[in-house]
Amino acid sequence: MSRDTWIEQLRRGGLDLAILLAVANGPRYGLAIIQHLEAFTDLVVGEGTIYPILGRLTKEGLLDANWVEDEAPHPRKYYRLTKTGRARLREMKADWRAFAEKIDRLIAASTDAEGERR
Amino acid sequence: MNLSESGQSRVNGYLFVLERSLKTFLPIEVVRDAVREIESHLGERIAASDGSPNEREALERILLELGPPLHVARAYSAERIVDEAIATERVVPMLRAVWHLAVTTLIGFGAALGILIGYLVGLSFLALAILKPVFPSNVGVWVRTGHESLRTEFPWRLGALFPIPANEHVVGGYWVIPICLFLGLLVLVVNHRATVKFLHWWKGRASS
Repeated sequence: MSRDTWIEQLRRGGLDLAILLAVANGPRYGLAIIQHLEAFTDLVVGEGTIYPILGRLTKEGLLDANWVEDEAPHPRKYYRLTKTGRARLREMKADWRAFAEKIDRLIAASTDAEGERR
Repeated sequence: MNLSESGQSRVNGYLFVLERSLKTFLPIEVVRDAVREIESHLGERIAASDGSPNEREALERILLELGPPLHVARAYSAERIVDEAIATERVVPMLRAVWHLAVTTLIGFGAALGILIGYLVGLSFLALAILKPVFPSNVGVWVRTGHESLRTEFPWRLGALFPIPANEHVVGGYWVIPICLFLGLLVLVVNHRATVKFLHWWKGRASS
């Protein structure tokens, strides 16, 4: 596996969590979610690929979506976490932290072993 | 940036292609909602753009960041149809996903053809196992009369023949049933796993 493929898999794995985090503190519309992700990460490689994921998360019942017509010159579709979505986000955050911690431990162990060999 | 007539035509063209692509696999109300959302996205981006260095280049940059309409449609198909098939691994959603890929892409068409042949071969073996007790003289391993040994007589063929040919008859008896059941189930399981693998590969390709 090339490094690019590996990074792509990491990105894809983290995108659902990142999107749920983007709406954790309140509703956001599609472009605002993209801008939020772009401000903190480089997870968005094509803006058009975020909307299908938002659609899927809505279909799965993790997000709730509704159109707001009169806020801007263009109607905006706002996404907010549902109760199920909030519970899933809690689980995903815990899973992510546990996973990262295990990998960190492995990295630390391999670094220590490397240091002892030198 | 306020769009000129040609700029607006470019946006309309983008949305038209997107809508047509989405219509091939999504319900119309979902398509309308998706296109409206992308239109809103473009509207926001265009309104926020200062139009430099000129309208055409600024607009192309915005469309490039969004991605080509077929690419966006492919991402929708990966998230909706293919995702459902992968998540459930049930036959009907998988066949729906394969059918969608077959009618929209060349690779999908080739893969669907292979998958279809695999399912047909598997089902044919199962059909033989079911037909054998009903038509014992018509189903089994066929050899030419007078050449009963499979070792010395080749070619032989496996199948159901109606009516029975004059110079052929079946051998192997009811052993055909467990053998065909085993082969049929084996082919179906392998084909099913291969289809799941193909859809995983497709989803990875479509989301990148």
